[in-house]
Amino acid sequence: MEFAELIKTPRVDGVVLHRPFMPTVEGTLCLTGHHLILSSRQDNTEELWLLHSNIDCIEKRFVGSLGTIIVKCKDLRVIQLDIPGMEECLNIANSIEALSTLDILSLMYPFFYRPMFEVIEDGWKSFLPLDAFKDLETMTDEWRLSEVNKDFIVCPSYPPLVAVPKDIDDDTLRKVASFRHGGRFPVLSYYHKKNGMVMMRSGQPLTGTNGRRCKEDEKLINATLRPGKRGYIIDTRTINVAQQAKARGGGIESEANYPQWRRIHKAVERSNVLQESLIKLVEACNDQSHSMDRWLSKLEASNWQTHVKEILTTACLAAQCIDRGASVLVHGTEGADSTLQVTSLAQIILDPACRTIRGFQSLVEREWLQAGHPFQQRCAQSAYSNSKPRQEAPVFLLFLDCVWQILRQFPCSFEFSESFLVLVFEHSYASQFGTFLGNSTAERAKLSLPEKTVSLWSWVNRPQELERLTNPLYEANSLVIWPSVAPQSLLLWEGVFLRWNRSSKCLDEAYEEMVHIIEYNKELQNKVNSLRRQLAQLETEDPLLQTP
Amino acid sequence: MEFSEYIKTANVEDVVLRQPLHPPGRGTLCITGHHLLFSDREEGSCQQVLLLLRNIDAIEKSVENLLTCSGLFSNAGLSQSGVCRLSGSSGTITIKCKDLRVLQLDIPGMEECLNIARSIETLSCLDSMSELYPFFYRPSNASLRDQWGLSSLERHYSQMKELHDRWRLSTVNRDFSVCPSYPQAVIVPKSTDDDMLEKVAKFRQGGRFPVLCYYHKKNGMVIMRSSQPLTGANRKRCREDEQLLQAVIDGSDKGYIIDTRSSQQALQARMTGGGLESKSCYSSWKRLQRQMERGKALQESLIKLVEACEDESNNMDRWLSKLENSKWLSHVQTALSTAGLLAECVERDGHSVLVHGSEGTDSTLLISTLAQLIMDPSCRTLEGFLTLLEREWVQAGHPFQQRCAHSAHSHARLQQESPVFLLLLDCVWQLWRQFPLALGFSEALLLRLATEAYASDYGTFLGNNQQERCALGVKENTHCLFQALLRPRERDCYSNPLYEHTELAIWPSVHPQSLQLWRGFFLRWTPQTHHLEEAQEEIRNMVIEWGKLALSSCPAST
Repeated sequence: MEFAELIKTPRVDGVVLHRPFMPTVEGTLCLTGHHLILSSRQDNTEELWLLHSNIDCIEKRFVGSLGTIIVKCKDLRVIQLDIPGMEECLNIANSIEALSTLDILSLMYPFFYRPMFEVIEDGWKSFLPLDAFKDLETMTDEWRLSEVNKDFIVCPSYPPLVAVPKDIDDDTLRKVASFRHGGRFPVLSYYHKKNGMVMMRSGQPLTGTNGRRCKEDEKLINATLRPGKRGYIIDTRTINVAQQAKARGGGIESEANYPQWRRIHKAVERSNVLQESLIKLVEACNDQSHSMDRWLSKLEASNWQTHVKEILTTACLAAQCIDRGASVLVHGTEGADSTLQVTSLAQIILDPACRTIRGFQSLVEREWLQAGHPFQQRCAQSAYSNSKPRQEAPVFLLFLDCVWQILRQFPCSFEFSESFLVLVFEHSYASQFGTFLGNSTAERAKLSLPEKTVSLWSWVNRPQELERLTNPLYEANSLVIWPSVAPQSLLLWEGVFLRWNRSSKCLDEAYEEMVHIIEYNKELQNKVNSLRRQLAQLETEDPLLQTP
Repeated sequence: MEFSEYIKTANVEDVVLRQPLHPPGRGTLCITGHHLLFSDREEGSCQQVLLLLRNIDAIEKSVENLLTCSGLFSNAGLSQSGVCRLSGSSGTITIKCKDLRVLQLDIPGMEECLNIARSIETLSCLDSMSELYPFFYRPSNASLRDQWGLSSLERHYSQMKELHDRWRLSTVNRDFSVCPSYPQAVIVPKSTDDDMLEKVAKFRQGGRFPVLCYYHKKNGMVIMRSSQPLTGANRKRCREDEQLLQAVIDGSDKGYIIDTRSSQQALQARMTGGGLESKSCYSSWKRLQRQMERGKALQESLIKLVEACEDESNNMDRWLSKLENSKWLSHVQTALSTAGLLAECVERDGHSVLVHGSEGTDSTLLISTLAQLIMDPSCRTLEGFLTLLEREWVQAGHPFQQRCAHSAHSHARLQQESPVFLLLLDCVWQLWRQFPLALGFSEALLLRLATEAYASDYGTFLGNNQQERCALGVKENTHCLFQALLRPRERDCYSNPLYEHTELAIWPSVHPQSLQLWRGFFLRWTPQTHHLEEAQEEIRNMVIEWGKLALSSCPAST
């Protein structure tokens, strides 16, 4: 297929662009296979380059022969294009609609994008499972790296290498895989260095209505327990939902078969409900009415903050179990959504390494990308889309929101700033980089993403970008950080949800000023230190100056 | 009267104090005429809590016999070493402060506990003003002969040379007989003489005739404030009042009157002797009615909000609907948007404005103050802001004594309490949050003021107006808060390290999405707010360090 077929009118002159809190720009609109470009051809006005894949939906209106297209983006921005000429406007609208919903992965922009920067470190190779395992080996020898999934047959959504208890062989793993939803047998997600406790994750057990059991499964998870110790299974579904799952072949770990484990049920919402919540929230945020009551009740009705609270609460619970000396297995149904929210947030709470920029990238790689969160399905549409939702759900966005809540409560404990989280959010929905393409490592391998596209991390891990994303207040904090989950402590994430509804100019200026102060402070401190050193040196060189 | 009459038990040993953000401590409790003092006697720590009794809004006591109190000790979260005393019983006093802190005291001995509770109840709401702590407070670093207050109307007038053409300083109220709630000097149009003012005063509620409160240098427009006209049911008019207002807009085509009541409320006010400026008598004035909540409704809103903030049910829906129900944020929104309207009339449309509601001592002051912050850069420095508060709240006669007698926890029947000043501070905080560089003071200042207005070592917020302060000898016998806040160490603490002067008006966004709960105040005693304070503190320290280093090392490039 040629993109040109979809583009009847590739350029229109005299188009006016309206953006929130920015002056209007008049210029030439161009459509390419992947971008919508508006350029005024004047030196000092910024051009607009918008990825088609970032467009969630468009609306068109006509007044006489002047057409208007309202473009609603997945990053929640809304822009307006006034296009002279009805035919041109219709053509442009049709092209945008077609190009923004292309679902052939190999035609996506990351396959065409060539970096304009020097790649210092290839992000595709920065966080390989093998390297992560080497770190683990320095702490414990109770785990091994299994290649049982090297051809993605045992579990299509797992990576080729996974960490499992040393005593469990690959045959056992195959049997366990057939007992767990989607073949997602329990694997290591986190090892707590301080006390040797572990967190594992999996899919639900396929007990079905007649209470099928699987000795190998029991053996596997018991192998992670210290003698005489009990572990916790955190099921992200309510007990009712979990019981009902039996009718469809799923189920729960019964007390009889897993006597060493205590099951805790938590209600974390999933898929459809979350997507609807996002749609309602964004609608509330864009509401132009001036009524405070209306805003607060819409915010409440969206339930978004409730979801944030539930996820954080469950993550705190998992972290608490581990911190107090018990190992944990987390799963819900498929083990690819709420499970990952819980395991990754628990690590942010427990492990200071995850609060650095690089550690957070590694966490996203390990617990989301390699763990098989279906990004392609979940992030296909965002809050504005009119098309029928299929598998869309803002699971990852909720995770980022929760991280932001913790960051806000512990402003000095994270190496990265809010802008890093916003950046990761944007790229998870539309990107020139290949990182978030596909639903699993298997799909990524099939598409040869590491060879054919650039990784987001290649771009982020360069000094000039890192500088922009670093939290100036950061001071490494080796402690566990327990966020408050009281509803009064959780805020709406303005940086994402009100980003385009407010002028951030003043806030940005203040932030820059703060960064400037901190930089200058460091500079002066270095100067003082070097003067002190010089003084000390002079004192030792000149015995007369020495105090008796 | 002697305070000692109210103190039957002045000292109790072995009391356990629980307070937010601190581990529980065991020590000695003392009650004095003005303070509750707790000092920790445990090894390795020396915790001391000095609480002004005036700061206590309400107490709850529960006394239990030893037989039933065994559970109390195990619940207490203290070490099991908590000795169960054999003699008698014990009691618990929960203290709810006006700064929203909640403390709990476990006191051994039922009688001691009851005595302490009774003393606190009596001493925390003494009626006689001259017995309040400010009259006894004698800090070593200040003298009663120090300058009291930052400025006066006389000084303000003499500094504003632009005013002298068309405005004069009148001392018609020098003995407070024309308007008891006004200061001795006020600024009025030059063409109105004191006789006229006396007549106008009779036509305005409480004698609050229209006076100048702000002169906009850019275009010479002004903000006046007053109380409602006393037209009554038979639509009385007052030529002098009309002439005074005409003199205000002399030379321009029209002015605006912003009435902080709804049209209906204003019309109803006629039945009780009040009223509004009719179109026929005030033809060059256009009246805008903007309803603002006042009095009891505001106090109830505060009570509901604080209750919501203290809710421990851990339910997000409940929290958000309670927050909505309290209506506090709606009041913030209304205040800011009415102030925005006022500033728009003056700065953008170029017209003079008269502001009033009923009494002209609450919502009127609220929006005239906010409008000045929006338009006038000189109000946005630390000194400028305090001077503004002194002029527009203390001297302009906001009845602090009545409004701040009780706060959100009190069980006492509401009289004249209303958190108007707190609402102002909240609105200023919203401005501060939206324009982090434009204001020269910090959130810490707003928090300090919110505390001081309700209970203070200083005399600044004592009394309801200048007349009462004169009668009490506040100037001679107490110290001034505003002066204290400007001492070097305090100045460091209350300045905004990010401040950069801007000449521009700062127009706040009043979209509901842009306004936030003032967590620093309402959730001040929760740990997460504490972390944020620490981060602010960090930035502040850096700036101070920076200042020192820049002074001591080589001349720093800017």
